[in-house]
Amino acid sequence: MGWIGKILRVGRVVERADPRPEPAMDPPAGVRGSLQIRHVDAGSCNGCEVEISAVFGPVYDAERFGARLVASPRHADGLLVTGVVTHNMADPLRNTVAATPQPRVVIACGDCALNRGVFRDAYGVLGAVGEVVPVDVEIPGCPPTPTDIIEALRSVTGK
Amino acid sequence: MTAALTTAPATAPNTVHGNGFGSATAGIVTSCLGAAGVWVGLLAMFATVRPLHIGWLVPLSGVYLALDPLGGFFLALTGGVAIPVGLYAIGYARREQLGRIPLAVLPVFVAAMLLVPAAGSVTTFLVAWELMALASLILVLAEHTRSEVRSAGLMYAVMTQLGFVAILIGLMVLSAAGGADRFAALGPVPDGARMAVFALTVAGFGSKAGLVPLHAWLPRAHPEAPSPVSALMSAAMVNLGIYGIVRFDLQILGPGPRWWGLVLLVIGGVSAVYGVLQATVATDLKRLLAYSTTENMGLITMALGAATLFADAGAHAPATIAMAAAMLHLVAHAAFKSLGFLAAGSVLAATGLRDLDRLGGLARKMPATTLLFGLAALGAAGLPLGAGFASEWLLIQSLIHAASTHDTLVALTVPLAVGAVALTTGLGVAAMVKAFGIGFLARPRSVGAADAREAPGTMLAGMTIAAAGCVMLAVAPMVAGPVLQRVLAGLPAANLVGFSDFGAVIRLPGLSGSVSPGLIAAGLAAAVVSAVVLARWRSRQRPKPVALPLWACGADDLTPRMQYTATSFAEPLQRVFDDVLRPDTDIEVTHLAESRYMAEAITYRAEIADAVEQRTYPPVIRAVTAAAGLVRRAHTGSVHLYLAYGGLGVLIVLVVSR
Repeated sequence: MGWIGKILRVGRVVERADPRPEPAMDPPAGVRGSLQIRHVDAGSCNGCEVEISAVFGPVYDAERFGARLVASPRHADGLLVTGVVTHNMADPLRNTVAATPQPRVVIACGDCALNRGVFRDAYGVLGAVGEVVPVDVEIPGCPPTPTDIIEALRSVTGK
Repeated sequence: MTAALTTAPATAPNTVHGNGFGSATAGIVTSCLGAAGVWVGLLAMFATVRPLHIGWLVPLSGVYLALDPLGGFFLALTGGVAIPVGLYAIGYARREQLGRIPLAVLPVFVAAMLLVPAAGSVTTFLVAWELMALASLILVLAEHTRSEVRSAGLMYAVMTQLGFVAILIGLMVLSAAGGADRFAALGPVPDGARMAVFALTVAGFGSKAGLVPLHAWLPRAHPEAPSPVSALMSAAMVNLGIYGIVRFDLQILGPGPRWWGLVLLVIGGVSAVYGVLQATVATDLKRLLAYSTTENMGLITMALGAATLFADAGAHAPATIAMAAAMLHLVAHAAFKSLGFLAAGSVLAATGLRDLDRLGGLARKMPATTLLFGLAALGAAGLPLGAGFASEWLLIQSLIHAASTHDTLVALTVPLAVGAVALTTGLGVAAMVKAFGIGFLARPRSVGAADAREAPGTMLAGMTIAAAGCVMLAVAPMVAGPVLQRVLAGLPAANLVGFSDFGAVIRLPGLSGSVSPGLIAAGLAAAVVSAVVLARWRSRQRPKPVALPLWACGADDLTPRMQYTATSFAEPLQRVFDDVLRPDTDIEVTHLAESRYMAEAITYRAEIADAVEQRTYPPVIRAVTAAAGLVRRAHTGSVHLYLAYGGLGVLIVLVVSR
């Protein structure tokens, strides 16, 4: 049973948690410290995705604040939408929002999602996320750093 | 064979117009015969029935009918299957436009099946057996205009007649060695004759019961026959193969040396595992049910073999339990398999489809049939609340408890047998989940399935009777308790320890272990009711429900092509048991002319044939063909030569019998 003792002594190797941010809203599921997130890529350059994978990696570890990625909007409390909304992804995005049980939260991640970013005048672009579905929380940055994303998620999980 | 070929063409003109009166008459007569069979069978078990001798009916020996509890049991079982099938046949014949000849032969077939267990002498038994075989052959060929039906009929005819030859020789040896025609008067049989009779009867009756490797007719004939006939054949006729083994090898010659038990155990185990494997990968609904019959007959044969082996090893309590398991499973199998085939027939009549890959969505269109097939599938899966649970539990218990006897052979075989039964039951669940889930739930995969309509009243009534039997066996198997006691008392392997504690709680005789299917059912029902009530109560506090389209991964809608099919459901199992099933798959990629990296078309073909049949039958058929070629040299077509043969034959007979 030596390994259990080892785990207890070492603990988890993560960055020190910053002080808790100001809550942006009540936790959608009604429980503090639990946010099941479905990630939707509406037309991103994948810069935000790289940062998000760092957020849920061992160093930043967003799961210790209760945020967790799930595989279907049916399981989710919130959507994490990255990228500018392209024509092809507009309907799937609307369908995904409709498929997420209420009360739900839509988090727009990255400058493209907030205001079309560098893809402003591209031919395939329909608009920013807020022009297609209602957005509750915004994370600015191109791309936003993992710290920014974690802070936004913590403002929703309340932990 | 000749009878079938000469009578079959006459049905063609009759199929044009409906035959309402004929179907009603045939159905009612069939059901009445069944009811009479049940009544006489029960009388034979709990009272005494006087033997009946009709001297003028068959030359030389006459017809002799005598019933003991064992015969009565099989008589009642056959009759019990015939009652729902008769009712069902009324509606089925109208809807499917069955011809006059199949309708006329249906009651004859039931009567012949009722005669087999009632026969009290070897001659009567053989006559009834052959009558049953011929009647069933005519019924299999009811839709003889299709070539698959003709090929299935030919296969069935050859195998049933070869089986009959084996039985004929075996019983003639028995009769000659025992010095009597009547079963009750048979004297002791010398060892050599006993072995020969065992080998011949197990081969003959085993082919009727669909045991591997003589099962090949079953998955061909059962799907091609009209569904009421499939139900009769699969739920009643194959039982009579088991009856033959029990009557001649375990009762008259019984209990038998231990290698008999071992032979039955091995044949049964191989049949059970092979049958259920083929059932899990079958995509034809009726073929799946037919292989499931092989599986269940295998389980029953295993139980018979185990009883013989344990009785010989001195473990009398496990022997009794194994025999009880065999008899109870016969009843359970008759109930759920007749229901299964009848429900499959409703599906076939409503959609014209047997292919599971093209069915689906029937739960909305045919709710009653779906529920009834669900009951049958639950029974065949051998889970609690299913008809087959109590008997499979008894079989496993007998095998587990026998492992503690200090006998090397038993200690070696029993763990393997437990493994075979466990594998069979597990795969059986997969097969039945596939049949029910793919065939009846989800969305229709073809136009035929989408346009299905519910079966007419008489068909539903017939199926409801069979379903009532299933539910009764699942919840209250104690109704079969007195019957089992009477039958087991007459079998040498099982009459040393009585199975007396077969009530609401089944307690194993002389061993620790008990189960109560009724209590399990009651507990589950209570749990379901309380869960529903709690959910209702809590739903008041929740927001109002919203109707939303199904989640289709962001796309617009789901299509039936996105669903699991029977083939894809069974694919992992097919991969695991690749060496046994030997699937024949072929992928053909056509490339574009410009580049090898672009595909123009991909063709995928997969087929699972019966590996045992493909391996073992062609050599036999080749040998027979070669022998026929040799014999043909003597048949030159010259009348003079044939006359000479005749004269020579008469001369030899005269010299020999001088």
